[in-house]
Amino acid sequence: MTGFAWNAAKWLVVFLLSVGAAAQANPVGFDDLVLKADAAREQNDPAQAIELYRQAVALKPEWPDGWWFLGLLQYGTDSYPEARDALTHYIALTPNAGPAFALRGLCEFETGDYAPSLNDIERGLSLGAANQPRNEKILRYHEALLLTRSGYFEIALQKFAFFAGGKVPNPEFLVGIGLAGLRTPLLPKELRADKQDLYMAVGSAAFHFLSGDEKTAQQEFQDVLQRYPTAANVHYLYGYLQFPRDADAGIAEFKRELDITPASAPVHAMLAWGALIQNKSAEALPYAERAVAEDPALPTGQLVLGRALLETGDVTGGIEHLQKELQLEPNNLEAHLALVKAYSKSGRKEDARRERLLCLEIARGEDAPVARP
Amino acid sequence: MRGLNSFLSGVILILIAMTCISSQAQTRLDNPGSACAGCHRAKATSQPQTPMGRALLLLPGPDSSLKANPKLTFHKGDYTYTVETQGDNSTYSVTDGKGKISSPIHWSFGYGAQTWVFEREGKWYEGLVSYYPNIQGLDITIGDAALTPHTLEEAFGRELLHSEPKDCFGCHATNAAQNGNLNLDSMQPGVRCEHCHVGANTHLLDSLQGQFDSAPPKLGKMTTEDISSFCGQCHRSWEAVVRGHTRGVINVRFQPYRLANSKCFDGADPRISCLACHDPHQDLVREDSSYDGKCLACHGSSAQLASAQLASPQTASASPRPGAKSCPVSKTDCVSCHMPKMTLPGGHMKFTDHEIRVVKAGDPYPD
Repeated sequence: MTGFAWNAAKWLVVFLLSVGAAAQANPVGFDDLVLKADAAREQNDPAQAIELYRQAVALKPEWPDGWWFLGLLQYGTDSYPEARDALTHYIALTPNAGPAFALRGLCEFETGDYAPSLNDIERGLSLGAANQPRNEKILRYHEALLLTRSGYFEIALQKFAFFAGGKVPNPEFLVGIGLAGLRTPLLPKELRADKQDLYMAVGSAAFHFLSGDEKTAQQEFQDVLQRYPTAANVHYLYGYLQFPRDADAGIAEFKRELDITPASAPVHAMLAWGALIQNKSAEALPYAERAVAEDPALPTGQLVLGRALLETGDVTGGIEHLQKELQLEPNNLEAHLALVKAYSKSGRKEDARRERLLCLEIARGEDAPVARP
Repeated sequence: MRGLNSFLSGVILILIAMTCISSQAQTRLDNPGSACAGCHRAKATSQPQTPMGRALLLLPGPDSSLKANPKLTFHKGDYTYTVETQGDNSTYSVTDGKGKISSPIHWSFGYGAQTWVFEREGKWYEGLVSYYPNIQGLDITIGDAALTPHTLEEAFGRELLHSEPKDCFGCHATNAAQNGNLNLDSMQPGVRCEHCHVGANTHLLDSLQGQFDSAPPKLGKMTTEDISSFCGQCHRSWEAVVRGHTRGVINVRFQPYRLANSKCFDGADPRISCLACHDPHQDLVREDSSYDGKCLACHGSSAQLASAQLASPQTASASPRPGAKSCPVSKTDCVSCHMPKMTLPGGHMKFTDHEIRVVKAGDPYPD
């Protein structure tokens, strides 16, 4: 476990232990065992406490508190597979326990089960596990790392934006942002040592930008580009960050990126998006077609192609690609917004209304205005 | 040599011809509205007098509102605002009792209620107070009520960031943006022909040579959905409001959004388009009864529909929609009930809610 993650996890365990789970009536015969387990836990004797809780849940498997404390203590002693299993028992008995999902997600992070880890952390967050500022930082940091590793780079950058304006906890944090920014599906610990400098420098520039210090960000991006003129996705990232506030500046960076990575589907998709928001749908179409040709599984590619087709008169083709996008990202607001227009223009009034209501519902569930696909 | 002479003569003749045409056209382009009036007299004459045509006023100038109220003051917290007018010149000031920031008013946005935009030390600001004719005085600018200024600079106005100045002038003026940048040299105040009919100037030049192929597309032929998006570029489109999370009664100002939320909105039916009820070349019609025919084009009996068709040629091919109910209460002044007028908090003016619906007493505002 990394230093940051280790400290964070320890803090989380201490906090959760102090909160504890709701006390339940212990069956006759268990009292003595439970009292001893609790005493051992309170006396900071995790090995003894784990053993006693293990005996207790073996005798009474439907006792949720036992599984909870067992999971917490095992997590705190780096017994991640055992902690995960104990928390799985607890979740089965207490299905809406956000902190348990979150903690199991952190266990899975340590055991390398990254997909279930991301699911559990997101589920935990949705169930209120981020109930303390410190907890929230731990969980959102891991969520951002896992999103990056899963290839959801743009969403990961949004998650990293949560930390904007705050202190940088350690270099690994910057490498994490760099990985998301340069679209590299790795964890910081998985990155080759000789690449650390590039990713950290990019992460620092992006962090300054996210924190509102655009001047420093610009200087740092320029420094990176001087040192690594052929590094892929640096121009893309800088353009992506600038795009919501200055579309022209963003588009200029995307075009520079094409000189370095001419087959990049995301770059073509963003160029198409830039043209679309400037009402240049005919200009957007070839970029969108290239984006989908390069990577049909890229949701943004399907979105921009759907919109470009729709806005150049091919409503049927547009709807087809927008629906493909929604198969990849069912709650993408931009795809639903475009479908509203497609259905509305083609006289499918009821479909358009259904999509409108869906858009309103999605928008109400979002934290902040959407500026990008 | 003869060939070369012929070529040069031809070039010279073409240049002379172009110069003549250009100077003739330039004279008209200086005032495109009047130039357009050569062929489109009625629309080019009436449109500049509409609120959209007067959406931006340049000062110093004959602004009767400020001249009629030569000293306006307003207090908000620690700050006192003053708008003083002497002759044609108006000055906007704010003071906290220790310091004072003043700026001449050059750009007055809006017809009726007026908000001022300032350029000061390289930054753009929207005045934190505006003029409201209903109170003949100043109050906080709509949308800025939640701002709490901590400095005199912040009290002066809300700084306009990034593309905001371009967006402000882009909607309230014509040709304010060139190559994506704000260009006040090319700007004409108010919404003029070229603002909506992009390419009108080219069409004007071509028409002087008898060429009419470059006429801008007829906007009235767009689908209802596209018209809504088109008007929504300034009046805020449905998707822009959804993206911007603009909730609450404040979004009553965004008519395309409100209209599209109506159950009866159909993006392929011309009877519910912006242009079915509003002619942007004419002043806004304010009599409720004048819109009855538009409503009855869908919700009327056959006889009422026939009457509505006579009144509105745009709906001539329409027939009552299946399920378009007739109102059991009244067949007149439909909008007085189904499109209630809403007062914005602090807005000192009413907006017609374009979300057409059955309004029940006590129902919350459907945002």
